[in-house]
Formats: sequence, C-alpha cells, structure tokens
Amino acid sequence: MPLTIGISETAARKAREFAQKGSHEEFGLRVGVKGGGCSGLTYTLSIDAESRPEDKVIEENGIKLFIDKKSYVFLAGTILEYSDGLNGKGFVFNNPNAKTVCGCGTSFSV
Amino acid sequence: MMPPATAASLREAQLSAGAAFHPGEGGLPLPAHFGDAAREYRAARQAAALLDRSAFGRLRITGADALDLLNRLSTNKLVDVQPGRGAATVLTTNKGRVIDLLIVANLGEELLVITGPGSQARVAEWIDTYTFGEDIAVEDATHSHAMLSVTGPHAAALLGDAASGLDPFDFAELELEGRRASVIRTDTLGIDGFDVVTPAEHAAAVWLALADRGAVPIGALAAETLRVEQGVPGCGRELSEDYNPLEAGLLPFISFDKGCYIGQEVVVRLNTYRKVQKRLMGVALDGEKPDADARLTADDRDVGFITSVVDSPALGRPLALAYVRTSHAEPGLTVQAHSGDRVVGGVTVELPVAAPSA
Repeated sequence: MPLTIGISETAARKAREFAQKGSHEEFGLRVGVKGGGCSGLTYTLSIDAESRPEDKVIEENGIKLFIDKKSYVFLAGTILEYSDGLNGKGFVFNNPNAKTVCGCGTSFSV
Repeated sequence: MMPPATAASLREAQLSAGAAFHPGEGGLPLPAHFGDAAREYRAARQAAALLDRSAFGRLRITGADALDLLNRLSTNKLVDVQPGRGAATVLTTNKGRVIDLLIVANLGEELLVITGPGSQARVAEWIDTYTFGEDIAVEDATHSHAMLSVTGPHAAALLGDAASGLDPFDFAELELEGRRASVIRTDTLGIDGFDVVTPAEHAAAVWLALADRGAVPIGALAAETLRVEQGVPGCGRELSEDYNPLEAGLLPFISFDKGCYIGQEVVVRLNTYRKVQKRLMGVALDGEKPDADARLTADDRDVGFITSVVDSPALGRPLALAYVRTSHAEPGLTVQAHSGDRVVGGVTVELPVAAPSA
C-alpha cells in the first residue's frame, strides 16, 4: 500500500473548476476525515488558500493536497477520484484502509 | 440521626449520619445504607431522598464544535439543545451497541456530560478518537466535583423555585447556604430526581444543607431497589456493548430524523424491520433471590436471562430485571430462573411496578 494520497486527473480538473468558481488563484484541496456517519468516520473536502504548518502537503496532477496529521493516518493510500455523469457521486475516496463502509457509502471504519 | 452542622468532608458528614460504606461502582467508597434501607426506600418513594451519585462520571466540555461532535457520535438530536436545557443520548459503536448512556446539559459556556459510573475516561477517549481539528476541549471533572441527587415526589419543592420548573434534563443554578451549585433534572431512578453538582470542597456543606431541608440520606441498596422496580437500565448490567439501545429500552433517547451518527444505520434497521431480538422486562420471583445472571426458561426453552435482582418492597418478593426474547416478552409468562442447582419460579411483569401504598 503506497503511503501517500493521490488524486486522479479528472478529480484534479474538477477541483480546479470549483476553485476557479470561488475565484481562488492559489489554493490547495484540503482532504480529511471527521467523526460521525453510520460507520464512524466520514470524509471532508474543502478548498483552502494555504496549508497549515502541521499539514502534510502532496502535489499531484497539478493540485496541492493539504492533509492534517491525524486524518492522514486514516487516509494513507487513498486515491481521490471523480465519478461524473447524471448518476455520478462526485468526488469519491478510494480508501484501502476502509474495512467497512455504510450503506450510502459516505462513511467508513478502519 | 441528624448529621452535625459542620463536617470537613462529605464522607465524614455521611459517616456521622450512620453511613455504612462499600466500594461503589467506579471504585469510590459510597454509602451502601444509613442503617435502615427500608426507611430509605420509603423516603425516595414518598418524600425526598439524598443520594450520593459521585461515582457517575462528569466531563466538562468546551469549544464551538462540542455539541455538533457529540451529535455525530450519539443517538439523540443534540444540535438544538439550547443553554439551560439538556438531553439524554446514547453513545453507540458502529455496530449500534451501547457504550454508555450520557446526560448532556448545556450550561451556556460549557457542556456538562454525566457518564455512567467510572466510565468517564472511556467516554473522553472515545470523543478524542473522533476529534479531527474540531474546536473542543474535554476536562474530567469527576473528582473535582461531587454529584448529590435529590429524588422523590418532594424533591422539587425541597430544592425550591429554581428546580420546580425544570423539564427532564434541564439545568438551573442554585444557591445553597451561599454556595452555588448546578442542578440538572435527570430522573435517573425513573421518578423525579435532581442531580446537584458542586465543587468537591463544597460537597459536605451542600450535603448537610440538603439533609437539613429534609432530604433523607439513602444508600446504594435502596437506590438499586428503586432502579429495578422502575425498570431503569444500569451501566455495566443492562447497558454494555452486549446490547443495543432498543433492547435496553432507550428508544426515547434516539432521534430517527437527525441524520447520521455512529451506529445509526444498524439502530435504524433494527427498528424499521422489527429485528430487536430481546427487551428488558421485570420478573417477579417466588423464592429466594437467584443469581444476578440466572438463565430464564419457559417450558424448558431458553427465553432470556436476569441482569439485576433485588427484594422488591412494592411486590413483597424478589424482582429481577431481565432480557427476555421478543417472542416471549409479554407480561404473565411463567418462567424458571436457573441459579446454579437451584430453580426459582417466577412470572414476567411490565416495569415500572406500581409503588407500594403508603
């Protein structure tokens, strides 16, 4: 399992589109987890102007990912993808750490 | 016997009033009785009793995200709990099993969370596990504060105006002998009950003031008798990761429309598809008390097991709390409790049982 977090080309393009709508010029995509959801943990995704000192910063496909240390433990190996189309789910976390996932797929446990 | 007007410590005040101590749940020495458990029981049923509930954990939680995080971790809807109000909620695992029953009171500047006896560290650790960057700080106030409960039909009147208007789990500030205390209506024994939380250094004075107003000191034995008669699940007995909140009768503390929380999917499915396997009931017993974990059979088939047992003054015979299979959980079922080699007959009853006539 690669100890990094990746982002697919499509997801990177979509993230750039969202950032431009919000007129962010310099930005990073903050990915993380928070407590809650049926299974215990849910994913969080937001656009941040800059990283925080304790963040891990990863750059792929032209996008900077900001990940706080505690979230990183649960996300290492995850690829952020984008599911397009009418029935698409939007951003999808493919997380190899997730042992169980709730019915709707938005929360997981490790 | 009336306690002396001053006492250096809560324990000293209780000893002077005739307390016999035993190691309570959570490891604190607590009064088992004050010489006459039957009289203590009557005080709680008919007047006002004073019970030391300090063994139950207390956490002070501050931070802008505190209510939102607890809302995501437990069964009840907490995000709307305004200052001065509170709620009971169940902390559940992702399999929908009970970790603890919590009372969350919004004191304005902070939340006061009452946990089960001795489970405050576990609850604090659980909250910490699920804290990612939220603005929240958890402080264990179990030993820095005492919790004295005034319980019974006269409890509200004894505490005065501040307490008498409180709905369940609401909070008020109270002044007793010049000392401020927080009062939360918790009804923990299934009858009117108010927990008075006060800094440990004021505990003896507050205890004496409450006794002076007429609250009769009672010990854990009388409280346990009431708890079983009222069908209130107890931490470590009826409440543990062996059970889900629906089996334990905690339905009033579950919100089905608040959205996701840990364990929600399982709890909702159990409820929607009526998959709850067993539920808490009373068993009125004919002989000597069986063991507190006796197996129950009906027509030689396993139908459940006992979790707590007391001598019930209301029934005039032993009464058990038991988990009974849903298929058999109707009052009037003849059962046998298997306690070692002994078999004790009994019949299932709905709880709470009617109070004994005065």
